[in-house]
Amino acid sequence: MRVYFRYAVKETLSNLWRNRMMTIAAVLTVAVSLSLVGSALLLKQSAAQASSQWQQGTRVTIWMEPTASAGEIANVQTQLHNLPIVKHCQFRTQAQDYVEMKKTLPPSEANVLHEDQIPTKFSCVPTVPLDAFTVQSTFMHQPGILTVTAPEQQIREMNHVIRILQIVFLALALVLLLSATVLILNTIRMAIFARRREVSVMKLVGATNWFIRIPYITEGFIQGLLGSAVAIAAVTALHIWYPLHNEFQLSTSALIGTNIVVLIVGVVIGSVGSSIAIRRFLDV
Amino acid sequence: MIRFENVSKTYKNGSPALKDITLNIEKGEFVFLVGASGSGKTTFLRLLLREELPDKGRILEAGRELTELSKFRVPFLRRNIGCVFQDFRLLPNKTVFENVAFALEVIGRPRSTVESQVPLILDLVGLSDKSKSLPGELSGGEQQRVAVARAFVNRPLILLADEPTGNLDPANSESIMALLERINRTGTTVVMATHDKALVDRMRRRVIELDKGEMIRDQVRGVYGIDESVAI
Repeated sequence: MRVYFRYAVKETLSNLWRNRMMTIAAVLTVAVSLSLVGSALLLKQSAAQASSQWQQGTRVTIWMEPTASAGEIANVQTQLHNLPIVKHCQFRTQAQDYVEMKKTLPPSEANVLHEDQIPTKFSCVPTVPLDAFTVQSTFMHQPGILTVTAPEQQIREMNHVIRILQIVFLALALVLLLSATVLILNTIRMAIFARRREVSVMKLVGATNWFIRIPYITEGFIQGLLGSAVAIAAVTALHIWYPLHNEFQLSTSALIGTNIVVLIVGVVIGSVGSSIAIRRFLDV
Repeated sequence: MIRFENVSKTYKNGSPALKDITLNIEKGEFVFLVGASGSGKTTFLRLLLREELPDKGRILEAGRELTELSKFRVPFLRRNIGCVFQDFRLLPNKTVFENVAFALEVIGRPRSTVESQVPLILDLVGLSDKSKSLPGELSGGEQQRVAVARAFVNRPLILLADEPTGNLDPANSESIMALLERINRTGTTVVMATHDKALVDRMRRRVIELDKGEMIRDQVRGVYGIDESVAI
């Protein structure tokens, strides 16, 4: 067993060195594709986390027409009060909003507006964040209401964009993973070809199939492993040095989980590539 | 040791390689396999190496039934069979010692066995002083002796030789023949396919002649050509 171990290690390393250019190409392709996979996974988790955080503080704002009558305002207020999906509401008068607006806007802009141009509004918190949309659709076209805004909409749009990004990332990653597998396959094929004399002698004197195969399988395995190591470094670097907005920031455990997936995929690619090469080109 | 029972083999292109061969080779026999090119000698040896399977019939070899041998066990069959070819098939980047040692290493023999057996066998073939040379630095005869050493280092029950003297001058052919005889005297069964008429005639061993896949002669103490054969 020890004899074989030494032999397999020696063979694997010399094969890797002999085909170093192909090995580098294969490793880099694995690395790039797995970096994409890792980033897509991180993005997905960040998006999920951010949208759940945003939803915590979801508020629906019902803007009344500046010209809305007291009756219309009272009507909306009663409805809001009776709606079970609304937790509580706060009515802001024109005067309150005007004061707040004067604080937030620069004087040059604030002076253009008059108090009676500012719409009054109800700022409501729904019981469940997802109900914001229902509240919005209920009040949207009622008399005296200017518009109803819910952050839910932005979250949805944002999630939509993120989902498209993810699909693009994963599709790219899939294509690259495929080419990485083919590259590994080709590297192994070249290694087998370079050793065909040895292989034929080994078969002749009765070396077992696995004895002949294992160095090539470990070669592919190591290429996958090296590729995923580079990808893990890239994903970790992305996580540390290029943090997205705070709400996107993930915990270390999420990063570790992503890296484990990257590692497994890399190792699987390497093994699959070399197994195919062995089945097709090493007929023992 | 080797038994063919109604063995037939046809290749995909339709040309029959062996037709209904039945024969028996005992342990310790020395057998010449003669016949023109394309007569089926190589197919005969390939069947014995279990590189191919017959279409019909049974082959028994070293206590195994080749037609029923699982692929997984083929390597273990081959450990009982040494093989020498016309083109030597040495590894050019390994020394003489490493070439012979390779045959033991790849079947998982421990280093101690390798270190004790390889010098012995190199001594047997008379190449102890060349153990550090590369095959390219040796003459054809010496290379073939290395190949014989590699085939015999694991002490196989059967030694197959496919035109082992085909690339050699008469003097070197003689020395290879002497070596094969010596190996045969240790009890190893030797099957040698050859075109070398002088050799066969002089050795007076069992001769099996194939012609277009058919066995046309099996003589206990034969010579190469049928016209000169001595009736028994």
